[in-house]
Amino acid sequence: MLPTPGPGAAIARARPRASVARDRWVALASVAPALLIAGLVVVGGIGMSAAQSVGLVPLVGEAAFTLDAYVANGDELLTGLALSLGIATASTALSCVIGLAAAIIITQGRVTGRVVAALSALTIPIPHLVGAASVGLLIADSGLIPRVLGIAPTAWPDLVGGPWWVAVVLEYTWKESAFVALVVAGVLATRVARYDETAALLGASRARRLRHVVIPLATPAVIVSAIIIFVYTLGSYEVAWLLGRPYPEPLPVLAFRLFTSITLTSRPEAAAVAVATTLVSLLAVAIGMALLRRTPLWK
Amino acid sequence: MAMMIPYGQRVTPDPRTTRSRGLMRPRPVGRIVRIAVAALLALWFALPVVPLLIWSVANRWSFPATLPTEWGLDGLSQALAQGAVPAFGRSILLGLAVAAIATPLGALAARALTFGRVPAPRLVSAILLAPLALPAFVAVMGLTIVLLRARVPATLAVLLLLVAAALPYTVYTMRVAYAAHDIAFEEEARTLGASRAHVLARVHLPLVAPGLARAAFLAFLVGWSDYVVTVLVGGGSLVTLPLLVGSFAAGVGNDAVVAVLSVSAIVPPLLLLLALGRFGRRYAGGRLTGPTPSRSPKGSP
Repeated sequence: MLPTPGPGAAIARARPRASVARDRWVALASVAPALLIAGLVVVGGIGMSAAQSVGLVPLVGEAAFTLDAYVANGDELLTGLALSLGIATASTALSCVIGLAAAIIITQGRVTGRVVAALSALTIPIPHLVGAASVGLLIADSGLIPRVLGIAPTAWPDLVGGPWWVAVVLEYTWKESAFVALVVAGVLATRVARYDETAALLGASRARRLRHVVIPLATPAVIVSAIIIFVYTLGSYEVAWLLGRPYPEPLPVLAFRLFTSITLTSRPEAAAVAVATTLVSLLAVAIGMALLRRTPLWK
Repeated sequence: MAMMIPYGQRVTPDPRTTRSRGLMRPRPVGRIVRIAVAALLALWFALPVVPLLIWSVANRWSFPATLPTEWGLDGLSQALAQGAVPAFGRSILLGLAVAAIATPLGALAARALTFGRVPAPRLVSAILLAPLALPAFVAVMGLTIVLLRARVPATLAVLLLLVAAALPYTVYTMRVAYAAHDIAFEEEARTLGASRAHVLARVHLPLVAPGLARAAFLAFLVGWSDYVVTVLVGGGSLVTLPLLVGSFAAGVGNDAVVAVLSVSAIVPPLLLLLALGRFGRRYAGGRLTGPTPSRSPKGSP
């Protein structure tokens, strides 16, 4: 809250103690419902996953501390981790580059800017699962692009279900670049125009304005979107399940398979994968926040 | 993760101001580059939807043909036979329920965080934003066992988890809305003798209405597009539209049905988005102050 000078502030300062305590209770009561739900799901979700993964909440039998669940699928856990990190990194990097380019086009205005702004805004509410289905229809070996180009299925690379997870990365990049574009354009629209004009007036060339004005102003928004995209793509199931290959599995797909398997021991193993994914997510958020603090615009 | 999108806000500069900027006037080469890049980007955003649209009206489309070999609505009739209508209804209800719970809760919390004396405000905001950093399946896998033992019905459990997932969006959106909201209007109305309920209905809610609409839209999207929570917690008892899309897309040879279901999953949020844009513009035009600079709450993403 901004300090508001004037009579209101004076009255607030002169308030008796009891009223301040009452304000606290009112504020706490307003925050409580949302806080309880979010806290229950986050703390409960992580806590119970961790407890299950070390054997403290067995479906049947006695609770006993054990790390078997982490060892049982050690190899799959490591390959899954590497794969998930690879997919998330590639999707995040590509989304940021394409999204930033789109944001710059959007903030330049004119017809081109408005068309790109409208199309990226329309991309965002499409569910990821639907995006996955449509990317499949576009670039599978019998998809629209090989049809139009007249390439036989045998000559077309394995983009869907292939070794490089191209379709998965493309789907994430498609949806998330639209996200980056609008977030960054929103920031640039409020801040950048005047700085850009001033720099132009002072004789900065186009390239220099892009390098020294537009990109530095966009950086914090790009970092925040990158954190959100990275964490999302790391923990998202449906796209990798639909467009990926059966083996190796990214972490969410591995956890999903173990969780829905009928073997009794696989629940703790699924929880172990969940805990590993959470740790990587939290680490990614921490690194992203550290990067954000180092940007000059951070207050 | 769409929370910071300036829906209903102008992101391209006003043509009246850009035309007068002599220094910023495009040069021919720059103009060609800009148009080429913009065309590529437009293609990039629009292309993936094209096969969906074609497939949804194709009965048969054997491989080398660039256009369907037989047009028709077989996909639609098959989708209807597979229960697309009730699934569509359930998805709408789920989205509306998530929005109806998460929006007021998020608005209450955001208002208290902006104007009130919340103890440990940084910790509170961090917890409210934390569901963003937690993969949905982790929350599900941890909590199903608890919710099952407490005999919470599956639909209610799905709703609880989705509301938690939607709260970061509604809280953040409403914090931006309240940061630009001048509480002096409410105090003024109180001084003039309006009751609390009157101030809420006539001053407070109308002033934050565009923010509420944005928050509700994002919360609706969370419920509308969820797949993993509904599958894992609902266990097949709650068949929503994404579940149908998933089960058909996982099989082979269902391309027309998948396309019809997918198009029907895209249309409602798009209509809402268009309505939101119109609402935001009409609303902004009718206000006294014009565009208010939005101060975004810093702290955590």
